[in-house]
Amino acid sequence: MAYQVSIFLENKIGRLERVTSVLKENRINIQNMSLIHTANGWGILNLLVSCPERACAKLCEAGMSASLRKIVALEMQDVPGGLDGLLTKIASAGVNFTNAYGRVVEPGQKAFFFIDADQIEDINEKLQAVGLTPVNDDLIYGV
Amino acid sequence: MIYWEKELEVLSRKELEKIQVERLRKTLSQAAHSPYYGELFRKLHITPEKIDRVEQIRELPFTTKQDLRDHYPYGFLTLPKRDIIRLHSSSGTTGNPTVIFHNRHDISSWANLMARSLFCAGVRDTDVFQNIVGYGLFTGGLGFQYGIERLGALSIPAGAGNSQRQIKLMRDYGTTVIHAIPSYLGRLYEVFQAEGLDPQRDTELRLLVIGAEPHTEEQRRRIEEMFGVKAFNSFGLSEMNGPGVAFECEYQSGLHIWEDAYMVEIVDPQTLHPVADGEYGELVMTTLDREGMPLVRYRTRDITRILPGDCPCGRTHRRIDRITGRSDDMFIIKGCNVYPMQIEGVLLKIPEVGADYLITLDTLNGSDEMIVEVEVKRDWFNGDVARLDKLTRQITNQIRDEVLTKPIVRLVEPGSIPKSEGKAVRVRDLRAALKAGNYSA
Repeated sequence: MAYQVSIFLENKIGRLERVTSVLKENRINIQNMSLIHTANGWGILNLLVSCPERACAKLCEAGMSASLRKIVALEMQDVPGGLDGLLTKIASAGVNFTNAYGRVVEPGQKAFFFIDADQIEDINEKLQAVGLTPVNDDLIYGV
Repeated sequence: MIYWEKELEVLSRKELEKIQVERLRKTLSQAAHSPYYGELFRKLHITPEKIDRVEQIRELPFTTKQDLRDHYPYGFLTLPKRDIIRLHSSSGTTGNPTVIFHNRHDISSWANLMARSLFCAGVRDTDVFQNIVGYGLFTGGLGFQYGIERLGALSIPAGAGNSQRQIKLMRDYGTTVIHAIPSYLGRLYEVFQAEGLDPQRDTELRLLVIGAEPHTEEQRRRIEEMFGVKAFNSFGLSEMNGPGVAFECEYQSGLHIWEDAYMVEIVDPQTLHPVADGEYGELVMTTLDREGMPLVRYRTRDITRILPGDCPCGRTHRRIDRITGRSDDMFIIKGCNVYPMQIEGVLLKIPEVGADYLITLDTLNGSDEMIVEVEVKRDWFNGDVARLDKLTRQITNQIRDEVLTKPIVRLVEPGSIPKSEGKAVRVRDLRAALKAGNYSA
């Protein structure tokens, strides 16, 4: 199972930078990110990094609220209609997700689609039932 | 027998009010002998003989701390100094001290109220009572001392401080009851631990009395867990003698305020009109059994409420809630009176957030809003937006239920709110009307 790091952030100048400076100090590379903003003055930053456990620990040490969340990555073709085809299958598997993001791996050839799977039970089994196989963890972290 | 003076403690309300009216008339007649009230009553044409209902107290003038200071030291004294046997006074760090004079009757009446209070909490003449507060001008020392003696328990006038010595006294004499301020008990427990002792195993303690310092229910429960015995709340203020004004009974649900000795009102601190039972307001008290220096409708500045309903202990003297703050701390938002302690009380019951908070009153889009910032606890956070949204709604609703106006709740990162040590600023007022300087205060 792969993990992303989720960080609670107030919507204030310099808060995102606090996170990136900790990662820089610890030489942790960011593979992907998504930022969720709410109307309540705070948001959540989701980071896919080379070493999620260490990143999470370092951010907590620096006084931030950070947590590990399960993710699932699926491979898709980097062509028009590629995501549409993948989403059709995910929907047929009965999987509903609230946060996702993508990354091109080989332009014109291959991309990864990441789903926040923390609250989704038996997601691997559901995806495999419709012929989708989650990507191996090593490939996700880009090592 | 659970009552010290059954004939007075379980009176019907009607009988109690009859006593109050008689004593109020007497108190006013006595008060008229003081330079301050003498002049005031003449000016306002107050005639004690005309009082025949308790409600008439509302026709009388209030007395404030400033009045006491302005007529320091003897302006409220009703008797020649020959008849006065003791005074207690505040330190007076912010102006003239407030001083209260007692004649022989007052000291005796106070000792009796104190004995009644202790008996109410379960202290008996077989107890060994160690009084761990300062003696001297502070009322907690001698006030308890006289009460313990009147009740007949063995008193140890230990005074404050020197925890090692306190523990030695407790162990040597088999102390069964101690009275201390709640914050000191935490320290005393640490010293017990440092000495390799456990108060539950190594003492004969069977109950605690705590007071003279605002504290929350959670703090009380913590103290009870440390010492393994019940801790009873004591309330008093030097202007109303000191301790022995109101006390918890075995049910620990509010403090019985002795209404044969004090007339009790709860008023809106802004309008000074009475509020309904159950609603928070400023406690206003009139002494009913003090001769040397009676006080009429004294504004205590303490915020509390009358707890509606009867107490299972059978006492008919009404119960006040623990003090939730000072009327000086109150602010008004959207027409609602709010005390920071009310908000603190709500937050303390929500384990997902820290105890520190910041209230900002601000004008947003032309409307005054109360913004409450609270810290999300680090170990509860799991990155789930929906869970944080749900928590925000829960806090919003619980604060609204408590203060009757809807706040804007903002979750903030841990460590971003100043810690509540000392007198941290808990309320900021940035409202437009205030900035323009035309807020009617």
